[in-house]
Amino acid sequence: MNSINRNNGESNNGKSSIFDGLKQDLDLYFLGLSRLGSSKALTDKEEDEEEAPKELNTINSSGGFLVVAPDKLSVKYTSVNLHGHDVGVVQANKPAPVKRLLYYFEIYVKDAGAKGQIAIGFTNEGFKMRRQPGWEVNSCGYHGDDGLLYRGQGKGDAFGPTYTKGDMVGGGINYASQEFFFTKNGAIVGTVCKEKEMKGRLFPTIAVHSQNEEVHVNFGQKKFAFDLKEYEAQERLKQQMTIEKISLPPNISYGLVRSYLLHYGYEDTLNSFDLASKSTIPPIYIAQENGFDEQDIVYALNQRKTLRQLIRNGEIDAAISKLHNWYPQIVQDDKSATCFLLHCQKFIELVRVGALEEAVKYGRIELAKFFGLAGFDDLVQDCVALLAYERPQESSVGYLLEESQRDVVADTVNAMILSTNPNMKDMKGCLQSYLERLLRQLTACSLERRSANGDQGEAFHLHQVLTIGRDMKC
Amino acid sequence: MSSFWIVIRQLAEIEEQMATSKKVITREEWKKRLNDVKIRKEDMNKLVMNFLVTEGYVEAAEKFRIESGTEPDIDLATITDRMAVKKAVQCGNVEDAIEKVNDLNPEILDTNPQLFFHLQQQRLIELIRNGKVEEALEFAQEELAPRGEENQSFLEELERTVSLLAFEDVSNCPVGELLDISQRLKTASEVNAAILTSQSHEKDPKLPSLLKMLIWAQNQLDEKAAYPRINDLSNATLEDPAV
Repeated sequence: MNSINRNNGESNNGKSSIFDGLKQDLDLYFLGLSRLGSSKALTDKEEDEEEAPKELNTINSSGGFLVVAPDKLSVKYTSVNLHGHDVGVVQANKPAPVKRLLYYFEIYVKDAGAKGQIAIGFTNEGFKMRRQPGWEVNSCGYHGDDGLLYRGQGKGDAFGPTYTKGDMVGGGINYASQEFFFTKNGAIVGTVCKEKEMKGRLFPTIAVHSQNEEVHVNFGQKKFAFDLKEYEAQERLKQQMTIEKISLPPNISYGLVRSYLLHYGYEDTLNSFDLASKSTIPPIYIAQENGFDEQDIVYALNQRKTLRQLIRNGEIDAAISKLHNWYPQIVQDDKSATCFLLHCQKFIELVRVGALEEAVKYGRIELAKFFGLAGFDDLVQDCVALLAYERPQESSVGYLLEESQRDVVADTVNAMILSTNPNMKDMKGCLQSYLERLLRQLTACSLERRSANGDQGEAFHLHQVLTIGRDMKC
Repeated sequence: MSSFWIVIRQLAEIEEQMATSKKVITREEWKKRLNDVKIRKEDMNKLVMNFLVTEGYVEAAEKFRIESGTEPDIDLATITDRMAVKKAVQCGNVEDAIEKVNDLNPEILDTNPQLFFHLQQQRLIELIRNGKVEEALEFAQEELAPRGEENQSFLEELERTVSLLAFEDVSNCPVGELLDISQRLKTASEVNAAILTSQSHEKDPKLPSLLKMLIWAQNQLDEKAAYPRINDLSNATLEDPAV
């Protein structure tokens, strides 16, 4: 009976066989991290994925009753209205995007014509383009002649003031509160619940209905009369206030920061942190029962910190040499992602100081063998591409020269050292700090929740949260 | 006839269960989603730096800047000053704290009457705590009473504080909590927040808000799906959905 020899007879303790079995997953994980900095990986701005309305749709507008200007941003009623089925309606060329907190657009009433029967609102695809928005199901409209809000039937509800020539009127959707909101001349008129019946994509819609009515529309190309950013901030604040009321276990943030520092081997910071905590009032005490099991991550703290320092300074040879001394098992397999990343980084450092000939030599010896290997190939190609540019930092592969790339290598080495800890229960503990796991859970829950709501609204995105905070300060 | 109605009721129940039944996401599927999330190390570093800086761990922030290459979002020099003020209040040296705040930025107390009142109130509390009855009364009459005249809630607070003098055994009186260290901490927190705001910095670190957001997001999602939850934030372990 054959026994399957998984270790190749190399390292002998029981943990390493589990380690080998996961080797491929680990490699992919680290390789994935290494390419995070490349522009192809950046999909931060979800909003940009969705196309927003830019102009009016001339194909399905109720031609015959109105005419749309060549710039597709204004419309004029050309008929004489005789009844309720000759409204001049026009939708935007695209539906309102949903993966955001708010959507908003404005109209300017250039001419109220004979009867001022203008409307602004939202309608679905397949709307009867001869009826005012709001007069049919799956539509809503705020009408200028009577100031009423129509929601799917001929009778409207009292809503706000009438509007006429010279007024700037806006219509918007608030995905968090599931409401429509309307504004007049920069001020909110009111909000109304967006019923679940209004399913499917909604198109910004404007309508004119009496002789000579003329309306211009602004899909954000020009500054709005209404301060949308301020409104958005206020709405975010409302949600924030609900969340702030939730209570947390005591000192949890403190504990998570501490284990983050331990996980990545930021030894000096940790020592300062601990020292300062002793003298805070009241003193901070983390009970072992709280679950902060440190044994696994205090392991090899000083060595991890040393290696991180070396790698962050670009001293790759010194780092490799130390690894051979301290943890030969990590650098044994020259085809592992760890060795690969170290070699790539060495190559990058040579390019950085302009030692191109040496870089080429090094690349031939150490990197050539990775060409064509799935997972490794992309990074090798990017590294080699550095040679093609006089100013590589400004090229599309410039990300390789950034500090963050050194950090990726340092993190990989850090994780591998943690994995040699005989007490390590699972690889997850080596790869991700508690903080990271919590942030991933938050993102995943947020995305799933949004998906369950028809993909409407904002989802959590750490990068955006950090950026918004900065913007608010200005 | 009755068995007919039993069947109808059962059908109605089944339909209700189907309508409200939650989507079930297995651990495998959920792990895949977790892995698909892209989190940048620099962003996590920024979050940690923001915590160190807002909470006032100056040396740790300095070291972290060196060890991680993360730039703090506030001038580290201002943290030392802010922490000195906070410490002074926490130790009951309110006069010292007020002097320091004014050195840092005289506008802070000028534009913050409530904060100033609370600091003066704390001074009064400390005088009473040290048994300096005459000084306390003089201070209350000269410094605090005029503020009380301007503002009803200040007046009430003042009266509460002065009433401490009426009791022999302050540990048992109804306003005894004013002598507790928590009162000092409250005032210290207030002054810390005011200084941060004056420096155009958010007064709270972001990390606790994100943790609360996680709890909230999970609660919200519970209504729609059964999925592996994290119930213990301190060890971030996934617990399988109860099916």
